[in-house]
Amino acid sequence: MKRPHGYSLFWVLFSIVILLSSSAPVLATDDGARAYWKGREGTQVFAFSYLRWDINAAGSLQFDPAHYIYPSSDIEASLFLAMWGRHFTFFNRPSTFSLALAGGNVDVDVDTNVAPPEFLPPGVVPGSSFSQSASGYADPNVSFLVNLHGTPRLKSNVDLLNYEPTWTLDAQVLLSVPIGEYDSAKVVNLGLNRWWGRIAFPMKYHFGVFSRGYMSSFELIPSVWLFAENDGFVGQTLKNDPLWQLEAHLTHDFTTSFFGSLDVLYRTGFQSEINGMEVGDDVEIGNVGFTFSYQVTDNVSLRTSYLSNVFGDDNLDNSILKIMFAYGWNPANENAKKLMEGN
Amino acid sequence: MTLAATQAFAEDKRPNILLIVADDLGYSDLGSYGGEINTPVLDQLAQQGVRYTDFYVSPTCSVTRSMLLTGTDNHIAGLGNMGEMTAPNQMGQPGYEGVLNQRVVTVASLLRDHGYHTYMAGKWHLGLEQDQIPHARGFERDFSLLVGGGSHFDDAWNVEWQIPKAPYTEDGRPVEKLPKDFYSTKAYTDKTIQFIEEGRQDGKPFFAYLAFTAPHGPLHLPNDWLRRYKNRYDEGWDGIRHQRLARMEELGIIDEGVNTADRLWFLPRSTSLAPAARVMLGRTMELYAGMVEYMDDQIGRVFDYLREIGEYDNTVVIFISDNGAEGNDLRGMLSGRVGSLGFLHAMNNFAENGHNSIGRKGTFAEYGPAWAQVSMAPFRLYKGLLAEGGTRSPLIISGPGVKGVGELNKDAVLHVMDIVPTLLELAGVQHPSTYKGREVVPMQGKSWVGMLEGRTQSPRGPGDWLGWELFGNRAIRQGDWKISWHHEPFGTWDWQLFNLAKDPGEQYDLSTKLPGKRQELIALWDEYVKTNGVILGERSPFEQASKGLPNPVPEFDDYPPIRGLEAIPYEKLKELLGGKTKEGR
Repeated sequence: MKRPHGYSLFWVLFSIVILLSSSAPVLATDDGARAYWKGREGTQVFAFSYLRWDINAAGSLQFDPAHYIYPSSDIEASLFLAMWGRHFTFFNRPSTFSLALAGGNVDVDVDTNVAPPEFLPPGVVPGSSFSQSASGYADPNVSFLVNLHGTPRLKSNVDLLNYEPTWTLDAQVLLSVPIGEYDSAKVVNLGLNRWWGRIAFPMKYHFGVFSRGYMSSFELIPSVWLFAENDGFVGQTLKNDPLWQLEAHLTHDFTTSFFGSLDVLYRTGFQSEINGMEVGDDVEIGNVGFTFSYQVTDNVSLRTSYLSNVFGDDNLDNSILKIMFAYGWNPANENAKKLMEGN
Repeated sequence: MTLAATQAFAEDKRPNILLIVADDLGYSDLGSYGGEINTPVLDQLAQQGVRYTDFYVSPTCSVTRSMLLTGTDNHIAGLGNMGEMTAPNQMGQPGYEGVLNQRVVTVASLLRDHGYHTYMAGKWHLGLEQDQIPHARGFERDFSLLVGGGSHFDDAWNVEWQIPKAPYTEDGRPVEKLPKDFYSTKAYTDKTIQFIEEGRQDGKPFFAYLAFTAPHGPLHLPNDWLRRYKNRYDEGWDGIRHQRLARMEELGIIDEGVNTADRLWFLPRSTSLAPAARVMLGRTMELYAGMVEYMDDQIGRVFDYLREIGEYDNTVVIFISDNGAEGNDLRGMLSGRVGSLGFLHAMNNFAENGHNSIGRKGTFAEYGPAWAQVSMAPFRLYKGLLAEGGTRSPLIISGPGVKGVGELNKDAVLHVMDIVPTLLELAGVQHPSTYKGREVVPMQGKSWVGMLEGRTQSPRGPGDWLGWELFGNRAIRQGDWKISWHHEPFGTWDWQLFNLAKDPGEQYDLSTKLPGKRQELIALWDEYVKTNGVILGERSPFEQASKGLPNPVPEFDDYPPIRGLEAIPYEKLKELLGGKTKEGR
């Protein structure tokens, strides 16, 4: 007989715990698959994303939660999003606090024959075309997420080992602070010059075995974006109705370090009003795409996703390519690794 | 054999016989033997029948089964060694065929020939060839796993790479494919009930051999049973073992003040483990306990069915385990080294072992020596070895003619070889000297019928003795005395002498103190070798054990000192380590 196995499971345990706690949620502007998975209390995540947006608008549309899309415009944006998040326990519920900062540059070409005159920048007359660009930091935001159902507190590795979720329901509040780059003489800016935020109720259903390599989930994130007035919109006042959003992901582990997701993002609402007059139409955009994520090490993961509109208003072509680098760590597990590596 | 007794059973309707064998079940796992595992059906059986404390089997399964079905020593029946472990110098030698040989006749053959229906469902492990399988060795109906173990689900991988898919037979024919919802324990129960139902019209009694493969590794459970014992074993093996020992004393299984085995010397004190490590290591025991309870539940189905058809009161039920609990790293042994065929087999079939995955299809979890020593409390060591922890088994007998209902018999020294003579006497069948033109060896076991009827306390007198040899390890028991020889570090590569009445944990070697007694028993060993044709193998799976394990040292409760820690309740400790500090845990 081979020798009995004594402590080997002990080390297996540690490696599992390290993997689990580093699979922390990475909150991004458009959330993404597995963004609301919980990590052990004290786990922190830093994520840096690069986003490439290409938008071609045929009609009068609005796109992003904050940005009006000029009819007959071409927009190219190269953006970054830096995010830091930390898991903690709030009134005995697993919670996440995060800060996010975005920036980059946006280039817009607009045919003013189509654009509503109210939206034209000073000095631009209808019948011509204009180009504008902006670069710098956008408005940073702060987010608080708390689990309402389905996830017990995850204070220790014991809690993680006992964690086998099925249905979960969270609540999230996000608030953006209007301190990003903004020039009231321009129609293209990265900052919004107004307070805005979001309320979301992420829910998910885990099926299959909750073990790396076997996990699958269906995730549904209904949310609403709310905007204050922008009273410095090229000398006018811009108001927007709430933007309703439904995000869905069907995720599946292909291996212990590789998962994929089918993604759907649907947005509607966001009717604009300038100086009390409605401008343009409601947004209705349905994007479909996919995500692939690779866990490079216990701490590092790389993720790429692509979204493009396939339903909703067909006057808008858009595509979003996102590449994300994330680094997660938990102090206790880092210490365990130091010991195991003999440092 | 007492003729009067035989007639008493044979005059009326002869009793049905239900022989239930658990696979790798530990001595103290059942509630009626002190265990905390929920086993209401077998506990009730114990209340309706008699429990025995000193019942012996062989330390491994096929070896025990060879004696269980023939009533003679394994070295004669063909399992002088496990077929898989036969040493070069044992190859081709009589008694070392690795399968049940033709020198023996099975109890199934004899009962079938004398008017019994004979059914088997479960593990065979006594031969794969057409003339070696259950159908050829006396079972009219069978649903059998021919090899030693494998997946409990329909994926049916074998534990050994040499035959990647575990072969099953039904009524002597190979089973091509198992149903999708196959789970071994339930399937064997279903078949047993089906066979009895389909054969009962003619009014003949039946002999049903229900040989579960639970709780043999891999520890597998249906999904809805996976978390039945969730966190029940987070406390760790020391606490659970102490609780079992206390209950065993209460139940009278062990006497107060006897020497029980120390915690195995190569294992840490469980209270020295961080809570997360205990949860992780406890999960395997949760699965094991779930398998035991599931088996108990299924046995209940058989009993319910027998009651329904009015046969329960006319059925002698015998429940045993086949050997000590499994503390060896079977998975590690079978998966081999990277690049080997064993590794390829493991890769293809049971590579997944995530903490939430174990127990499911595609995994191979075992609970290891730490929990095996709990299962074998109060004894030392576990399966494969000839300490009491490898060879003691629970034994419950109930049924018509069994006197002393609810009692615990601590006087009888019993052996698995005794079961065939007992069953034959109950059925009024004589063991022949020839069978179908070939000579068969006589039985070595002793019938229990006199004991069951309350006329004697034991089938053995003070001069009777029992012997064992497997993998080069060897033992003799006579009365309260036992000598054993084990490879280091499980023994000393020499004979050790123990007094089992005072020291069932085999903690104190009395060789130096009582050299005469030791010598007496060594003489019996020589007789055992001669009688049974024992050939000590020139190779043994334990020959290198001393290289992988430290030498044993006695356990001291207060060393190393971790004073105060054990006084902290586990829940509090978990909270302290889980929430208030930043240390790794």
